[in-house]
Amino acid sequence: MRRIIVEYEKCDGCKNCSVACMQAHRKTPGTVYDLNLTDPENESRNFIYQADDGTYRPVFCRHCDEPECVMSCMSGALKKDADSGLVTYDEKRCASCFMCVMNCPYGVLKPDRVTNTKVIKCDFCSQDGGEPNCVKSCPKGAIHVEEV
Amino acid sequence: MNQCYGCATCESADKPLEGFIKDLPFETSHHRVEGQSTKCGFGLQGVCCRLCSNGPCRITPESPRGICGATADTIVARNFLRAVASGSGCYIHVVENTARNVMDVARRKGKIKGVNTLNRLAETFGIEEQDVHLRAEKVADAVLTDLYLPEHEKMKLVKKLAYAPRYENWEKLGILPGGAKSEVCHGVVKCSTNLNSDPVDMLKDCLKLGISTGIYGLTLTNLLNDVVLGEPEIRMAPVGLRVIDPDYINIMITGHQHSMFTYLQERLTDEDVVKKAQAAGAKGFKLVGCTCVGQDLQLRGAHYEEIFDGHAGNNYTSEAILATGAIDAVISEFNCTLPGIEPICDSLHIKQLCIDSVAKKANAELEEFDFENREQVTEKIIDKIVKSYTERRPHVELRLMDEHGYDNTLTGVSEGSLKEFLGGNWKPLVDLIVSGDIKGVAGVVGCSNLTAGGHDVLTVELTKELIARDIIVLTAGCSSGGIENCGLMTPEAAKYAGPKLRAVCEKLGIPPVLNFGPCLAIGRLEIVATELAETIGVDLPQLPLVLSAAQWLEEQALADGCFGLALGLPLHLGLPPFVTGSGTAVKVLTEDMKELTGGQVIINPDAKQSAEILEQIILEKRAALQI
Amino acid sequence: MRHVIIGTGAAGITAAAEIRKQDKDAEILMISSDSQVHSRCMLHKYLSHERTAGELDFTEEGFFEKNNISVVNGKAAAIDTEMKTVFLESGDEIAYNRLLIATGADSVIPPVGDLRKASNVFGLRHLSDAQKIDAMAEKAQNILIIGAGFVGLDAAYGLLERRKKVTVVEMATRILPLQLDEHGAKAYQELFEKEGVTFRLGRRVQDAVCGPDGQIHSVELDSGESVPCDMIIVAAGVRPSAGFLENSGIKADRGIEVTSRMETSVKDVYAAGDVTGLSGIWPNAMKQGKTAALNMCGVKQIAGADTEYTDTFCAKNTMNFFGLVTLCLGALIPEEGDEVLTEENKRIYRRAILRDGKVRGILLQGDISNSGIWQYIIKNEINVSGKEKKLFRLTFADFFGVGERGKYVWTF
Repeated sequence: MRRIIVEYEKCDGCKNCSVACMQAHRKTPGTVYDLNLTDPENESRNFIYQADDGTYRPVFCRHCDEPECVMSCMSGALKKDADSGLVTYDEKRCASCFMCVMNCPYGVLKPDRVTNTKVIKCDFCSQDGGEPNCVKSCPKGAIHVEEV
Repeated sequence: MNQCYGCATCESADKPLEGFIKDLPFETSHHRVEGQSTKCGFGLQGVCCRLCSNGPCRITPESPRGICGATADTIVARNFLRAVASGSGCYIHVVENTARNVMDVARRKGKIKGVNTLNRLAETFGIEEQDVHLRAEKVADAVLTDLYLPEHEKMKLVKKLAYAPRYENWEKLGILPGGAKSEVCHGVVKCSTNLNSDPVDMLKDCLKLGISTGIYGLTLTNLLNDVVLGEPEIRMAPVGLRVIDPDYINIMITGHQHSMFTYLQERLTDEDVVKKAQAAGAKGFKLVGCTCVGQDLQLRGAHYEEIFDGHAGNNYTSEAILATGAIDAVISEFNCTLPGIEPICDSLHIKQLCIDSVAKKANAELEEFDFENREQVTEKIIDKIVKSYTERRPHVELRLMDEHGYDNTLTGVSEGSLKEFLGGNWKPLVDLIVSGDIKGVAGVVGCSNLTAGGHDVLTVELTKELIARDIIVLTAGCSSGGIENCGLMTPEAAKYAGPKLRAVCEKLGIPPVLNFGPCLAIGRLEIVATELAETIGVDLPQLPLVLSAAQWLEEQALADGCFGLALGLPLHLGLPPFVTGSGTAVKVLTEDMKELTGGQVIINPDAKQSAEILEQIILEKRAALQI
Repeated sequence: MRHVIIGTGAAGITAAAEIRKQDKDAEILMISSDSQVHSRCMLHKYLSHERTAGELDFTEEGFFEKNNISVVNGKAAAIDTEMKTVFLESGDEIAYNRLLIATGADSVIPPVGDLRKASNVFGLRHLSDAQKIDAMAEKAQNILIIGAGFVGLDAAYGLLERRKKVTVVEMATRILPLQLDEHGAKAYQELFEKEGVTFRLGRRVQDAVCGPDGQIHSVELDSGESVPCDMIIVAAGVRPSAGFLENSGIKADRGIEVTSRMETSVKDVYAAGDVTGLSGIWPNAMKQGKTAALNMCGVKQIAGADTEYTDTFCAKNTMNFFGLVTLCLGALIPEEGDEVLTEENKRIYRRAILRDGKVRGILLQGDISNSGIWQYIIKNEINVSGKEKKLFRLTFADFFGVGERGKYVWTF
């Protein structure tokens, strides 16, 4: 399977990956210029946190080998795809119980900000050719995709 | 392996140039586009604020306000006003130096080459003075006096120079500018930390700065330069890298202040100076045009064909011009002098000289222009250049491109020369517009950048799309340099025009794209537009006239753009000016402006779509005029 | 090899999938007492008519066919572990090599008045329960719910969506007494009350008498108050569904006793899920099912996963009523000597219980974004001394590490 490898030492905390993620998952058509950065509907699936020493830690979905989120899903919305290795999320099946949010050991998952009915989760930009836009947007090369 | 610096250069509308740059052993801006292709989304939208130590603050759904409480609207408007004030400052610096030069020349009874222009200005300003030098002095003084007024005193010449219906509109909106230098100061104060937070108020200030920039920085700079350097005359001239003749000592000039070269360009053809060149083994000296000051020289080239060989290229061609190896010195006095030329100059031992400290390059020698001591300073500069030629030429490999560009490019077009060409009045052009042989007029102006599709890509594509729709294109700025190097300013380019425009061009032997020269000449386009409007008896926003700064680059372009909006013209931009993070700014610029001044901003990076939109606007304006 | 699984809930289905993953050729047979696979955690969405019965299925489409699993409908009546045979109530006999008991649990109807014999009293545990409630809700208007735990409130939510008048009786003095503290419970109580629910807290049903039609039309509370009702839903707890194991030799107390490999006291018989009484929550049932499956297939070690059920932490839950989300983990009631940190604003309520630098329990209400780290912090008793000030701002960045193949690892 492919995974986004994080080299946190290179991260400068610009959050361009977050903007790229919001842009990749926006509901309306448009470019990054008109992406509404104040619309709570636009959410990033990745998170850049600052550590105590001032350096940054990019926290991205691992699409875990043994995904705890899948092992908590009572609706069948979350699945580990046998072929791609990706952990996929089917919004339509989701029952909004958020056991997955509780079970993700790295705190990657969250309920959607506006309705609290969906889970905000990395889909590896599979609708967009499976090349994650966050990776393309990183000016520092702090994240890259690797076959693992 | 070959010697190329890198393989991934950006696209250029100028394919031979693209190939030339790709093969260069130097890194150029064209190479760096790829490495900078990742853009910060916050920056693109203009919602990154670094105005205080709490920042940088960025707008996100979790943090819709900066620490101080500034919204996206406030942050965007402050950043935009800052850029416009800065851009205005640049042009005001240019007109100030130009007026001072006219004053100096006049006081020392120097040569007044453009008496017609001087008389026109004196008449407009209401100056009655028999002595030509005193007349010139008074004209220059009137300009400088206005520039130095405080912000609370309105500039006097605005009413005299502006088209009356426009002046009324500006008066009504409360955007008549005070002293131009003070307005820049006022603008930067207004957008500083925790001062103004009203996006609409700040955008109105942008319009005000646009007016002072346009009337003074643009229009008057052109005319004042014409007074001492001579008026443009329509003629054919060569363009492109072909203009570089390695048998001469070649000086590439960059900047926007033609007046600073007045003495130098004359001195370089004096016999004693030519002898210095000959002693070094060259045939003499040549100025090689680059950036807008090159366009200025080309425009007035009829007055000094001996020293000026032609315009080689625009801002993003400057590295290629240097890379030919045949340039022995660069003299810069303003932008667009790219910092990236420095390592190339180092590598090719090209002497860099700056004659205005505002454009001091890191590894250039500063020989500040000094009217009083112009003779000594000029001799010093000439000697340094001859030394550079002597030292470098034996070691430097030449990489010429004799085939690049075109020989028969129409140049020298101005509000004066064009009217003269048409028989002394605008009626022939108005008739062609009314008959629909010319559907409308588009000013494709401003800069060149590398990101709107690549070097000049959008500009050239849009120009082709417009002329194909029978819309005549007038250019000013680095856009001119790109378009002319792509051949669209030769009479043969008529074949790219739509059938009606083509017929007009072929009949008159002119290209469908007319080059007014530097970005400053946007001021000349404004005169043309005003005189057309006057002829028809309408206000500017009613004309079937559109502007496009398709590949706008810098803050000056934004100040120019604000002038266009103040004039009430539709203004197309290929890339948004870092404002899209603010719904209010976008609405004011693209929608509400129609009600305010009659202008509007259109943002579209696609040539075909943009041309369709602009054509539609032209058709609507024609319909409203019932033509 | 023939694996027989009794029960098609979280544990049973997870086990079946895992067995197939481990052994392509094994025969897998599941015994289901339900008309179809369904997630009991979504029954309230069936009651509210947000989902059809089919939409309660949590398996992927064609799960049984794809995995070559056969299903027998029926209810297990007895097991002969000597003969390795399951007897169904229908009289059918099913032989096994390895057996997994994953029958879950059943609602307990307390022996109060006529509750156990009335025809309008239901638990809410299986799809069949929900279907019966749904049918009766066509006519019934006044609904009485006994118990304000998860199931009781789920039922209340579902029936509110059907515009029923709902009264909830709860013995404790707050709703969700096993999940929330007073403050957190109050937020939900207000939301439910705004939607029209009447609560009788700190009250018990004392008596309930059947009318001549076999239905209870009102109950009497210990306060003496009489509450009229057309239907009663009892959500007062569950009991492992292990009654059929009598005389099987499989040891069971409240639930079936199992080892960490989910083995029962009898060879080749395993148990997983609620029937073990180990925990009542979905993720743990899945994990137990998976552990049982691995051991049934003889897998004693596997990369990246446990073959023993060691992650037994089950004091964890999330809830989401009317868009208000809550996460609760670990200790709920502070004990003497505990430090309690709280944070509250108009959108959120957060409370942490600390002892000796370790977080014993956490409650997050209103915003549970990125809260997955808390389970790890609590169950691994990670010392957070010195971080108390930013406790509620802790993220994985504070424990960040990268291991092999780009996996994250906890460092502390």
